[in-house]
Amino acid sequence: MKISKLTRRSAKGLFRSCLANGALDEARVRQTVTTVLAQKLRHYLAILEYFQRLVRWDLQRRTVRVDAAILPQPGLQRDMEQNLSRRYGAGLQFSYQQNSALIGGLRIQVGSDVFDGSIRARLTALQQRF
Amino acid sequence: MSTLLQDIESQISGVKTSVTKQNVGVVREIGDGVAKIEGLSDVMMNEMIDFGHGTMGLALNLEETEVGAIVMGDYLHIKEGQEVRTTGRLLQVPVGKGLLGRVVSVLGDPLDGKGPIANSGFYPVEKIAPGIIKRRSVSQPVQTGIMAVDAMIPIGRGQRELIIGDRSTGKTTICLDTIINQARINRAAEAAGDKDYRPLYCIYVAIGQKQSNLARVIKVLEEQGAMPYSIIVAACASDSATSQYLAPFAGCAMGEWFMDNGMDALIIYDDLSKHAQAYRQVSLILKRPSGREAYPGDVFYLHSRLLERAARLNEKSGNGSLTALPIIETQMGDVSAYIPTNVISITDGQIFLETDLFYQGIRPAINVGISVSRVGSAAQVKAMKQVAGRIKLELAQFRELAAFAQFGSDLDAQTQAKIERGKRIVEIFKQPQYNPVPLEIQAAILWTVQNGLFDDVPVEKVKDCQNKMTDFFTSRKTPLMARIAKEKAISEPLAADLKAAITEFKASYK
Repeated sequence: MKISKLTRRSAKGLFRSCLANGALDEARVRQTVTTVLAQKLRHYLAILEYFQRLVRWDLQRRTVRVDAAILPQPGLQRDMEQNLSRRYGAGLQFSYQQNSALIGGLRIQVGSDVFDGSIRARLTALQQRF
Repeated sequence: MSTLLQDIESQISGVKTSVTKQNVGVVREIGDGVAKIEGLSDVMMNEMIDFGHGTMGLALNLEETEVGAIVMGDYLHIKEGQEVRTTGRLLQVPVGKGLLGRVVSVLGDPLDGKGPIANSGFYPVEKIAPGIIKRRSVSQPVQTGIMAVDAMIPIGRGQRELIIGDRSTGKTTICLDTIINQARINRAAEAAGDKDYRPLYCIYVAIGQKQSNLARVIKVLEEQGAMPYSIIVAACASDSATSQYLAPFAGCAMGEWFMDNGMDALIIYDDLSKHAQAYRQVSLILKRPSGREAYPGDVFYLHSRLLERAARLNEKSGNGSLTALPIIETQMGDVSAYIPTNVISITDGQIFLETDLFYQGIRPAINVGISVSRVGSAAQVKAMKQVAGRIKLELAQFRELAAFAQFGSDLDAQTQAKIERGKRIVEIFKQPQYNPVPLEIQAAILWTVQNGLFDDVPVEKVKDCQNKMTDFFTSRKTPLMARIAKEKAISEPLAADLKAAITEFKASYK
């Protein structure tokens, strides 16, 4: 679906109205979607599509995915979460996955930033070097 | 064995053992060589993006929630949801003298099967043109070997001269003649051990050309011995629009290396009409807003930023130069179309080729009336200035009076004489392809015309007389020609000797 400039502007306006203290308010997002669907504004489907993209983009930006060969101890998890919150701001959502393909170490993804300290990444780098 | 172990050890130690930080994104959409990517929050404009499997892309559209990138090379293995990463590098091509004599792709990969290229480094494809402080005015000539061009529309080193005309009017031939002539001059200077001579290296960029045409160009350059001084950058019609869009910039980067290192280079963009079409294709797929004739709004900037990179640098900046000969193909001789008017306004002059003249047998089919060189006359050697000054005027007068030629009997003697002189000048400027004429021969022939020594030769025999005179000058008057080439001016004693030589020739000419 082609999204016009006006539609994008409307979606961005809705998105801004869902922010509370710089962070996305989940309740406001739900309320906005319900209201737009009920009112059936002009191009409401295109507006909601772009709004969804903005919300997804914001969620991705605030989601931290931690992949580890062995899940880290709670103490280490707490330290890691504090460090990342200091760097990227409050409101981060953490998810932990066990991934044996990493062999050892951690791979942390925050939005589009990836910190890769896994054995697999080092082996790949070594392979590319040869 | 110990060296091998040391090599392995150094390579292992070179690998970072600390945590690496990368910026990644996910392919959301892929098609027609263009990918839409989500993520890549730190990507830069024109940064190379790694798609994996050795495929690279170029970030061109930086939007709020996504990045539009063009894929270089095969994109069929790229899938939706695939992870891509930034590289922190701008698109670069190999540069250096190692590229001379080679046919390369847009990324500088060899296409001629002659093995790897020994490059001297890498240059970014997009670069800001030299500023006004680094430049100086055009003062040295580019000898094309085409009499009509060297006499009436002279080109200087660092100039941008547009070659414009319909299809099959000899645009590429003019450029090939120039490359061949430069190779001949470079070879002669090398053989003579002339240390003051500055060789001119040529870069031919084929954009959207048929592969058969490019093969013919390569064959001609190889046969004429011009390849050792030339680089060919190929983005043929079968290559992606992305390659065709990037090809002139890649060729320009290769030329800039010569300029930055105090050497002279000539670059031919064959042709910028197809380049604009390739850019239009890429822009439309990237969903950029379209304007006139569906070209994007920045098509003027596309060509102006490319052609501004041709320059003559001052002594402080190395005294190098990059001359550009862009080619534009017109439709039905319409020079007022969008892309032709854009490029005409950017360049320092144009050589306009006409289909009618071509089929009348006037080849090169240059329309002298609307062809112009705005800065080249400052670079013309004195000998040519002396002999060619009046030729253009006489030819223009001839064109004005040509309409009356059919009523020859009613014309006064002066007008009749002007028409007869004009007919001879037109004949003199006819020149077969791939047969450039050296400067000294051009000067001697034009001096002969200017002094009316061809006036008693019938028009239909002028060409034959000119050819025999050229043979006479090259075989029997070599010292005289060498004097013209050395002095680069026709002094009074030289003129007397030239007149004596022509009288001697005419006595024997039948």
